Amino acid sequence: MIIVTNLTYTYPKSTETVLKNLNFEIEKGEIFGFLGPSGAGKSTTQKVLYKILNDFEGGISVIGKALNDWGNEYFEKIGVSFELPNHYLKLTAKENLELFASFYPQESIRNFDGLFEIVGLEESINQRVEEYSKGMKMRLNYIRAIMHDPDILFFDEPTAGLDPINAQKIKKHIVHLKNQGKTIFVTTHDMTTADEICDRVSFIVDGEIRLTDEPAFLKNKHGKHTVKVELENSQTAEFPVEDLGNNAKFLDFIKKGEILRINTQEATLEEVFIKVTGTQLQE
Amino acid sequence: MEKLIKVAINDFRLVFRDNSLKFFFIFPLLNLFVVHYGVPFAVENFPLLEDFKMVIVMSITTQGSLIFGFIYSMVLIDEKDTNVAKVYGILPISKFWFVIFRLITPFLYSVLASILILLVEPFYNIPLVENILYSVQTGLVAPMMVLFVAIMAKNKIEGMSWQKLFNIPVTMPLLAFLIPVYLSYLFAIFPTYWAYQGFNKIILGENFLIFLFVSFVYSILVIALFARRFTKLHFQ
Repeated sequence: MIIVTNLTYTYPKSTETVLKNLNFEIEKGEIFGFLGPSGAGKSTTQKVLYKILNDFEGGISVIGKALNDWGNEYFEKIGVSFELPNHYLKLTAKENLELFASFYPQESIRNFDGLFEIVGLEESINQRVEEYSKGMKMRLNYIRAIMHDPDILFFDEPTAGLDPINAQKIKKHIVHLKNQGKTIFVTTHDMTTADEICDRVSFIVDGEIRLTDEPAFLKNKHGKHTVKVELENSQTAEFPVEDLGNNAKFLDFIKKGEILRINTQEATLEEVFIKVTGTQLQE
Repeated sequence: MEKLIKVAINDFRLVFRDNSLKFFFIFPLLNLFVVHYGVPFAVENFPLLEDFKMVIVMSITTQGSLIFGFIYSMVLIDEKDTNVAKVYGILPISKFWFVIFRLITPFLYSVLASILILLVEPFYNIPLVENILYSVQTGLVAPMMVLFVAIMAKNKIEGMSWQKLFNIPVTMPLLAFLIPVYLSYLFAIFPTYWAYQGFNKIILGENFLIFLFVSFVYSILVIALFARRFTKLHFQ
């Protein structure tokens, strides 16, 4: 769906190259995550892909067509949820959506009541956005991105500023969209979100992709192949995962007391990131 | 067209829901009273002003454009401030034409304000066609100002300063009527010089069309230039 080859980008009037030979592909129906610290080039990559930044070097193909060959009809096929809320504060949420919806083919526009329900804003549909909290504005960002039923979605920090319940709602809906065949490109420095929803992730640092793979594979590859057993009497021990059911020491140990918990010792995505890139994610 | 009407209605809502902006709509109305009652009263009581009444009327015709230009530039600056401009950057529309169409509302308001001023001023009996042709020229000041201020200003406070600065090239060509003719040509670099000269010719009953034509072409070129620059800056 999206093929990026040797993408290099330098902002006008700057000498610093912010994207350096990026190569990645995003399949149709895939959630692809770009993970990296602030200033790594995540948002810039998205801006190039949604044609806000031009004059890039390298090749980008979207839905089988070079990005530069797409005209304004490209914007009917994509939806963008920005990192920060951006709405007319003096208008109500519904007025905001109605205004921007008027620029798309009307047959593609989804029912507004349904959209507001998805993100739990149905009670506030006629409220002016200036009265919204940051989290509510972010949820409005989200439904504005999906209101015209685009094939490709760009979400920049989709759960930033949201409480855990609403963050969960958004994450579930993103997965729901993927199941409908939408292609989704997420940028985030929130490892939990990436781990929960992304099919594949790329680690990006200083404008370079250091690694691309499935989160589960990465966690497994970079973790210890052991299980840690903790008993209620505070005794703990680690055992190799291989042939665990026939491991006599393991079987003896779990008879020594009530089991409090048994955990595999796979790495977290954040640990993998730090190990691979040598960079902290949360800044 | 439906989209543009929607944007025009939206702009109107934004202005009228902003207490600091809707207040400015009073001034074009006040100008009608000033030109109808205030200026004749002043001319009658201060005969010295008799020689300047044409300059005063012309000045008032552009005041409406400056006010509407200011109001709509504030809308665009606010749009940039709140990052709403970025949303327009990803809509399936031509950005350049969107900007041009967006300027139609302040242009029309300004033309209307100028037409009304010339209808209620008591000194000259300007035919309606000439009135409209001249008012179109003064109306073009509004889009020029909207774009200029929105390009230059980073926020509303800066916008107010740039708006004041923009008043200078708009009103300065009025000085052309107060100085020796050979010096007055210096003001020809400003589009409003041509409009004011056209107005003078209308009053004198001379051929005004060439001046209004130059004014129109010059203003359109300046607007197109500003619009190109604005389009590059606004949506990123």
